[in-house]
Amino acid sequence: MNRAQWGWIALAVIVAALVIAPFVLPAYRTTFLLFMFMYVTLASSWNIVSGYTGYVSFGHASFFGIGAYTAALLILRAGAHWLPASLAGAALAVVFALPLGFILLRLRGPYFAISMLGLSAALEMIALSWTPLTRGGAGLNLPPHQSAIEMYFAMGLAMTAVIILSRKIITSKFGLRLVALREDEIAAESLGINTTAHKVAAFAISAFFPALVGGFYAWYLSYIDPNSVFRPILSVGMVIMTMFGGIGTVLGPIIGAVFLNVISEIFWVQLPELHQAAFGGLIVLVILVMPGGVIRLLKDRGILPANWRT
Amino acid sequence: MDLSILAQLVLSGILLGAIYALAAAGLNLIFGVMRVVNVAHGDLMMLGAYTTIFLYERFDLNPLLSLFISIPLLFAFGWLIQRALVNRVVNQPHLMSLILMWGMSLVIINAGLYFFTANTRAVPYLTGAIPLGDVALSRARGVAFVAAALISLAVWLFLQRSKWGKAIRAVAQSAEMARVCGINVERVRVVTFALASALAGAAGTLLITILAINPSVGPTFLLKGFAIIVVGGLGSFSGAFIGALVIGVLESLAAFFLDTQLAEVVIFFTLILFLLVRPGGIMGVEE
Repeated sequence: MNRAQWGWIALAVIVAALVIAPFVLPAYRTTFLLFMFMYVTLASSWNIVSGYTGYVSFGHASFFGIGAYTAALLILRAGAHWLPASLAGAALAVVFALPLGFILLRLRGPYFAISMLGLSAALEMIALSWTPLTRGGAGLNLPPHQSAIEMYFAMGLAMTAVIILSRKIITSKFGLRLVALREDEIAAESLGINTTAHKVAAFAISAFFPALVGGFYAWYLSYIDPNSVFRPILSVGMVIMTMFGGIGTVLGPIIGAVFLNVISEIFWVQLPELHQAAFGGLIVLVILVMPGGVIRLLKDRGILPANWRT
Repeated sequence: MDLSILAQLVLSGILLGAIYALAAAGLNLIFGVMRVVNVAHGDLMMLGAYTTIFLYERFDLNPLLSLFISIPLLFAFGWLIQRALVNRVVNQPHLMSLILMWGMSLVIINAGLYFFTANTRAVPYLTGAIPLGDVALSRARGVAFVAAALISLAVWLFLQRSKWGKAIRAVAQSAEMARVCGINVERVRVVTFALASALAGAAGTLLITILAINPSVGPTFLLKGFAIIVVGGLGSFSGAFIGALVIGVLESLAAFFLDTQLAEVVIFFTLILFLLVRPGGIMGVEE
């Protein structure tokens, strides 16, 4: 059998194991996997705009928060089911991302990164101050519910969808154009690529999934407040997980999210007060020592073929 | 509405803006010379402020005198950051330096929380105000303004007159041409980052005499600093001062008419508005 066939077999085994897992593992482990799926989804979404186009977003938690609040409010005020409520939140995030991306992505350089940082801070302040709607810092309480398994599969499906989409994009003409504009925007433009339209499209796609899992998160935890859904560490997590695994690849964010969740679970739980510094220090190290992440290391060692694009 | 209230708000906004200008000028210098946005700039301001808090609480040192400690301290720290980190990513895509400095920012914030706790603190200094007709000039803000103006003037003279200042401006115009003329570009970058970091430290020291802060305040300062240089014009030293006055006054008006927390939202929308209608800023040129 060749390499590709082994790859498919390994994938089938992993998927089968993950499908059986929640029925045999204790509830705590199921919850751990569920949050790992959420982080894989977040990192992969971030990678679609920041990895493929090179425009770094420092505030992707904005979309997570928009999704969480939209879903929570629809469930509370309109009695909606959690799934359509989360989908509505994701749709709203896309509607919001389109004009925003059009404004912020027209300009080259670092405007986008800092503006996104500002956006998540501004949204958090709005959620805190708009008390009649959001109850401000008191947060929103949702009806409690029992099943972690339902949410496990919801998160798992969101993750599967974003991974398949990431791969579809990077192997498509659309993806090639994104990479072209990342490497040299002026050259890409001179080849007739409408760079703004492409960047905005990638941005809107990357806004959808964080908002979707934001809605799931709100329903699963039954409680959200501005600080928990707009917290900077969420945005930080997406960046470091993707950078660690390998930015601009399909596998990178998955490897990074899985690895860092496991590491956090083992070590950093004991040092919660240094969590942020550990993430920050790791970001610095990755940039200086292995800017291409694990994927690049594997390529350099010849374990992965050098022309491997996913 | 009472006109004297408006005058009062504009005055305190201008006084605040002069201090922001110091920090924003540093951010602008680094961007001009290296095309790097120092994402940890707000955190360097926080370090300057906490140096002053520490010296005040431990040794009862006058906050103005602690400028003589916070400025060299942050100068040295900036020197170190440039040598150890930024230098390695200067010629790489924006993405690398942005993410690198963001990581650095997280480390500084966490260190601040660890050593100084998350409590919001201030240094009480020169309470009271001097009446000027209908408006009152807060003594602390007045003194901080004068100090900020003197430091800005000194930096401006340094950039215009001194050999190092000229070298910095030359590298900002074109690193390659400067190198051909025999300027040690690496050394100029180190001096630029150290100087900008010292300016952030000075701004932090002055701010803590009029505002209360906690170790997580950095990103808010960064956002303000960034809004200032976008409004004023990216890379323009004098633009930073015009931008800072605009942002200072806006913040002071928003805090009064809306809510202190919403001031941040107003600044964000100002940033978006400028990116939309005048991306080159007031003093800058269209890209």
